[in-house]
Amino acid sequence: MLKIRFHGRGGQGVKTSSRILGRAAFLDGFIAQDSPIYGAERRGAPVVSFTRISKTPITERGFIFDPDIVIVMDETLLNDWLARPLEGVKKGGAVFVNAVSGFPPPAGHDDKVFITYDLTGMALEIIGKPIISSPAAAAAAKITGLISKSSILEATAEELAELDLKDELLEKNIQLAAEVYDVIPTPAINTQESEPITREVSPLEYEPVTHEEVIHLDISNLGNSALRRTGNWRIFKPIVDPQKCTGCLVCIIYCPDSCITLDENNKAVIDYDNCKGCMICLRECPLRAISSVREVRVYA
Amino acid sequence: MSETRYKTLRDVPLQEYLAPGNPLCAGCGATPVLRMFLKALEGRAVFVNAAGCFTLLHVYPYTPFKSSWMYTAFASAPAGAQGIRDALDILIEKGKVPPEEDVKVVCFTGDGAAYDIGLQSTSGAIERGLDFYYLVYDNEAYSNTGFQKSGATPYAAATATTLPTKLQKEGHTGSKKDLFEIWRSHKPPYVATIAPSHIVDMLRKIEKASKYRGPKLFISFTPCPTGWYHDTSESIRISKLAVECGVWPLKEAIFGEVKHTYVPRVLKPVEEYLKTQGRYKHLFHPQRQEHIIKTIQENIYQYWRRVAETEKLDIIIPPA
Repeated sequence: MLKIRFHGRGGQGVKTSSRILGRAAFLDGFIAQDSPIYGAERRGAPVVSFTRISKTPITERGFIFDPDIVIVMDETLLNDWLARPLEGVKKGGAVFVNAVSGFPPPAGHDDKVFITYDLTGMALEIIGKPIISSPAAAAAAKITGLISKSSILEATAEELAELDLKDELLEKNIQLAAEVYDVIPTPAINTQESEPITREVSPLEYEPVTHEEVIHLDISNLGNSALRRTGNWRIFKPIVDPQKCTGCLVCIIYCPDSCITLDENNKAVIDYDNCKGCMICLRECPLRAISSVREVRVYA
Repeated sequence: MSETRYKTLRDVPLQEYLAPGNPLCAGCGATPVLRMFLKALEGRAVFVNAAGCFTLLHVYPYTPFKSSWMYTAFASAPAGAQGIRDALDILIEKGKVPPEEDVKVVCFTGDGAAYDIGLQSTSGAIERGLDFYYLVYDNEAYSNTGFQKSGATPYAAATATTLPTKLQKEGHTGSKKDLFEIWRSHKPPYVATIAPSHIVDMLRKIEKASKYRGPKLFISFTPCPTGWYHDTSESIRISKLAVECGVWPLKEAIFGEVKHTYVPRVLKPVEEYLKTQGRYKHLFHPQRQEHIIKTIQENIYQYWRRVAETEKLDIIIPPA
């Protein structure tokens, strides 16, 4: 059995990706299973979904803790302590990362094959939106080495038709999936059939805290949500042109996340640590002083 | 409007009471309203929140607030508000809290709690004359759990729990509850509708309401990029269109007397508003469903014809 785990952010098409892959495997005669998990739905939050592909009936259910293949649809998730996409990947497994440029395997993961490709860039070019459900599924299909191109394209068409996409958009998605399928290599995946997982449960590490610490650091730390750093949700980054900005306050008033302030020169300044990149500021700026560029991050 | 602090956007207080970094969707239409409310009340408020999107706002150990916040079950936000109000009143009376440290009590819920599940407890609180604010962010469905239909879902919108538009051409067949009228029939001191695009109007209303003791109720239009299927950058634009097309009338009622606070001179065709959102996509794709669009448009015209007559408004509406 091949276990594939998709990691992405709400809105990127993580759930659909795993469904497309599952359906494609089914079309190729395999037994397949796919399921997503997400908490309260919200855009930008880490989302995980799973696909299992097997020649024999699948008796396993639920989370995949020991995937053979991991598809990371947003490279910033590699640093996210909530998502931890590389956790549990088997030795000899493959990790696909949707990133602008390649990078060396992170420490402790030398025994895995890393494949990097800029799916978001391609999606923006072809469908004009940073939604990568079909290309991520195509990449996963190619990496498995089990699924034919015709099946992945058929599965893409069928799954997306269920979402009631416009024909034009559907065709572009299929084109995108085909192009991705052609460029992604099929690595040799040499993972062992999984043994029963024995998890070492470490005893709870209890650090005694004083009363003061609890009150002042944890509970009553007013406005500490800024420490969450929602800035890595962005796909596009708004940039203020100080030459054009007149400090009219419009962007500051409409920003849903209180991320814009005025500097001493009466110009708008954006807090990139927490800006989610919704682009309301760009849309509302009466002077068109805000432009957007694609966020290009380098994994560090 | 007589004396007001708020004449233009320049008068909006710059002090922030809501910190960045909350886990809500990018482009949320409700956070600008919450921010403005906090600004207008200078952060001196206890919020009572029923289950909904905003339950996520304050997830331990992080909080975007500099003021207090309490969660309640879906149906009981006004009951929570009553408890806090009573406790504050008693503590002030006993001299345990100095009167200058008194704070406002604000119920902040979504349309699910306000229109459906918590309607009876709100009715009770209004009837008891509880001195509180009620702010609804009305995104016209149970958005937090995947956009299921609520009592606030308008005619023809597609939701997760109405029949698929392939089977049922118009989407939702019912119509939106008129919560404004339900609340108004209780004759509370102040009821108003607000929109995140019309900030000065919103701040003036909060300012005006603060003069009254008793229930002060606000219904805010709230574009929801996740449930309405529009780009996150469009939230404010859609709110503007809703007001300009007459979909979301901005009005207030003082002890039951209604007055429209913003009247578009000419209503824009409702199509402009519908086209911005994926939840109305089935009206235009694969075939244009002219009769449904016409029904929506005619309902809006009917509303404004009636209002124009009773309030003698200067507005041009095509004849029936």
